[in-house]
Formats: sequence, structure tokens, C-alpha cells
Amino acid sequence: MFLAINEIKKNKLRFALIIGVLMLVSYLVFFLSGLAAGLENMNRESVDKWKATDIILTEESDKSLYQSSMTIEDVDEIDAEEIAVIGQINAVAGNGDEKTNVSVFGINKDEFIMPDVIEGEVFSGDNEVIASDALKDGGFKVGDELHLSSSEQVLKIVGFTDKARFNASPVLYGDLETFHRVKFGEFAEDNKQSINAIVVRADESSTITKKDSLETIEIETFIRSLPGYTEQNLTLNFMIYFLFAISAVIVAIFLYVLTVQKISMFGIMKAQGISNSYLSRSVIAQTFILAAVGVIIGFVLTLITGAFLPSAVPVSFDLVTMVIYGIVLIAVAILGAVFSVLTIVRIDPLKAIGG
Amino acid sequence: MAVLELKQVKKTFGTGHKQVEAMKETDFTADRGELIAIIGPSGSGKSTFLTIVGGLLTPSSGTVIINDKNLSNLKEKERSKIRLQEIGFILQASNLIPFLTVEDQLKLLDKVKKENMTKKQLEELYVDLDIGDLRTKYPSDLSGGERQRAAIAKALYSNPSIILADEPTASLDSDRAYEVMALLKRETKNKNTTTIVVTHDIRLVDYCDKVYKMTDGVLVQEK
Repeated sequence: MFLAINEIKKNKLRFALIIGVLMLVSYLVFFLSGLAAGLENMNRESVDKWKATDIILTEESDKSLYQSSMTIEDVDEIDAEEIAVIGQINAVAGNGDEKTNVSVFGINKDEFIMPDVIEGEVFSGDNEVIASDALKDGGFKVGDELHLSSSEQVLKIVGFTDKARFNASPVLYGDLETFHRVKFGEFAEDNKQSINAIVVRADESSTITKKDSLETIEIETFIRSLPGYTEQNLTLNFMIYFLFAISAVIVAIFLYVLTVQKISMFGIMKAQGISNSYLSRSVIAQTFILAAVGVIIGFVLTLITGAFLPSAVPVSFDLVTMVIYGIVLIAVAILGAVFSVLTIVRIDPLKAIGG
Repeated sequence: MAVLELKQVKKTFGTGHKQVEAMKETDFTADRGELIAIIGPSGSGKSTFLTIVGGLLTPSSGTVIINDKNLSNLKEKERSKIRLQEIGFILQASNLIPFLTVEDQLKLLDKVKKENMTKKQLEELYVDLDIGDLRTKYPSDLSGGERQRAAIAKALYSNPSIILADEPTASLDSDRAYEVMALLKRETKNKNTTTIVVTHDIRLVDYCDKVYKMTDGVLVQEK
């Protein structure tokens, strides 16, 4: 540590550049992880909020909520601790000024998937809905009337709920009757038994239903089957993992160049009897200091940037994930320093001092 | 008792018709308090002698004994330990680390050896070598003479048995060279250490107790 700190103190600019590069890499990693988490939340937060274990869809729907169609009578085929029915349709909603994609959920408000209202009140009348607070951020407010692209029905926002986005669209929660009117229009009465799925909380998935036309799907599997969800996460995670590898290579190159420049000095120290292990520990300690400082600055910069980003940018910083990624970045930087350690071990003090 | 003893030490490089005998069979002893010069032209084998004595090069045959320890039988890790504990090096190119102040050069040895010189001993060293004012300076801020004085301080630090100096005055003008030799002589006597100076500058031999000449790998005592 003594050699490491003194060298950094003497060559501030040189080491500031290395710290700068590590800071930028960690900033990018943290930001991408925040983006990955934000995009993930956009797809799943309303489902996560249900705290359900499974969802029952029709077997032929291929795990798609939108494609699944069943009747309320199917609830009789279900054996679970808690049961909730849900109807779902996608639409474009506008209040005259703003337009946005929405996912309309029809539910029974006495069942467990009914969300908390953070502003306004619970829907009680015809065509009343509570909306995701993402709509509030987009300029919608309590009392707004929403015209839907696929329906003649006009919905009224009576309240807002938080964490209510599904497959990247804000959710409108209304009762089943409202949902039927939106989906079937004048044929709503004929289809009043129609729902898309049954959501349950159960201890044992395999015994929830024995009906052949229905399929029990664990919530995590259901989320992973959402269109684009897995592909998007894999892409972002690949970018993060590549950045880990890139940061290891960057540190390895920087430190190797620095080590090569100091071969003669290391040789003299080895001739004086300073051991390989002391010199190696010094290089590792130096790498740790540089990586830790770079990662901490990157961490702080990410949080500052996050505080100033508009809500439209889908970032969500999870401190635990960031700390884990920070530790991984420091670890891969130290891995990159191993090349320098090997170089030091191979230095022949005799050659270094010109013998 | 001899601090350093070489018994029938020989060093050859290469094999077959390319074999070069850099140092012919040599016997050599050095006692405490002696300042010894090894002189000779370039390529005569002086540096080979010095690196064998310093445990940096293994002889082809023979034994090198430092304070009753046979260097020839030791692994590099153990030889490295002996270099740290028993030998101080002064090199032609300064043995100072560029990013450490003079004071920190000595502190480094404390850290590596895990033993501290007393404050009084340290102050004496600064006074003896007249480097008290240089302690916060980096090697790049020092003149050639100051750098060599700091290098000698580093070599003398924590009282090694043997000081090995490879052309310690090569980069200095005559006055500075004599000054450095006088300093080496004084410290050799004061600290009762053994100093071996390899040089091609015969003007410096007046300061030495013994003088050996190396010619084509053969070491002969001249004084």
C-alpha cells in the first residue's frame, strides 16, 4: 500500500486518467443496469404488485394474456387460497390534449389484485377507472375523460395508483362491466362472463386446476413470456457483462504499460531484496484504490444524473444491484492487474540493473 | 571472521564452442571494516563478480558464503531475503525509486523489513551523509552527488554486512567522485561494514584498503 499510495500521489495526472476511464465504465454499467431495471419494471410492475403466485390462461393462448379467453365459470375449476379474475385489452387513450397507449384491466374490486389508490378514489360507477401514475406524469389528471381508439366508450379517471404498468403501457383499472363495454361495445351483455385470465395465490401450482383447456403458469414464467421482455433484458445484460470484460481489459492494458515502463525500477527493488509478493501486493493494492475511487465516483455521478432525468426515461436504480456491480467492477479490475503481477514476477533483477 | 568468502567460484556462460568463461576459478575473502576496490576494464568480469557476490547470479561452480550462509544452496526467495537483510546496493544508475522522497526511500525499507531504525539512528544517518535537507525531495529534484549520497544512505540503512557499489562515481565529476569515495570509506569504518566497489576509475583506489584487479575473468590482488 505504501508504494501504491506514494506513486499515485507523485503521478496524479497519470492515475487520474486511469480513474477517469474506470469512472466512465462504471458510470455506463450503473446507468445500463438502471435502464435495464427501469425497462423491466415497465413490463412487470403491475403484475409484481399483485403478489400472485400463478396465473391461469387458456392452453391455446401460448402464455399471452391478451390471447387468452375464458369465462367466469372457469373459476369453479380452480383450487387456490386466493383467486382474482381479470380481463385485459390494449387501447390508445386520449383526453383531448394527450394520447397514450394503455392496458385496460377489468377486475373485481373486492379481489386481491385490486390496487391501492394514491390519489382520488376507487372506481364505483360505470366507466370509472383508476389509472397508473405514469399517466399523471404524462399530463392526465383526476376527472379527465378518456376516449379510446378501439371503443365508443368514454372512461373517466377517478383516481391514480402507483407501480401500474404492464408490457410498457400504463394500466387503467376498472370493473369487469366497464371492461366488457370497452371490449365488446353493444355486445357487452352477451359477453358478460368473458375474462382473459384468473390470477391466484396458491401454495402448490400443480393442483390449481385439472381442466385440460387451462394452463397454470408461474408468475415469473408469465412475465418472461411477455413480448420482447426476455430479449430486451438479455440484450442489456449482455452489454453490462461485455462492459465488465472491457473494463478488465482496459485496466490490464493501462497497468501493463505502466509496469513495462517500470521494469528497471522493479528490477532494482528485486535486486535490493524486495520480494515478488511485496511488489505484487503493491500493484494489486494500487489497482484496488484506482478501481474503488473510479467506481465510487461513477456511482455518485449515476445517482446525480438519475435525480435530474425526466420521468419519461425508464431508469430505476437498485442500490443492491449497483453495489454488486461495483464490487464486480473492482474484482475484474484486479483480475486485469494479474498480467502486471506476472510481468513483475518474471523480471530478472540482473537484467534490470544491467548486469 | 570473514563476512564474505568465495571458494573456487567460477562462472561460465553458454555451451560448447560458444562457451565463455566470464570468471575463472576465484577465491576471495572480505572482513568487516574493509573498503575493497575491484578494478578492471569493461568486460573483464567485474560485474559478474559483483552479481555473484550479491546473490543475483548463481556461480557455475564453487561456493559463496555470507556470514556463514552458503548462498549457492539457497533458492531465489531465500537469496532475496539475504539481499534484503545483509547487502546494500549502490548502483551506477541510481537505485532510488523515482516517486518516493528521500525519507520515503528509507521508510520503504522499514515497511519491507518490518523493522524500524530508531529516530536517533536515522538522524545520525542524515547528518553523516549530509542529506537532512533533502529528505522531502524526490530523486528528480537532486543533483548527481546528492542522488548518490541518498543512494548510499539507502544502502547503509539498517546496517547491512556488505555494501556492493557498482561504478558509484560514474556519473559524477572528479570532486564529487572523491567526495563519494571519502564518504564510503568513512561509513565503512564507522559502521564496521564491508564495502566492495567495482570501478574502472583507478584514481579511486587510494581510498581503499584492498585493491583487486580483474583481467579476463582472473582476479588478482594488487594492494
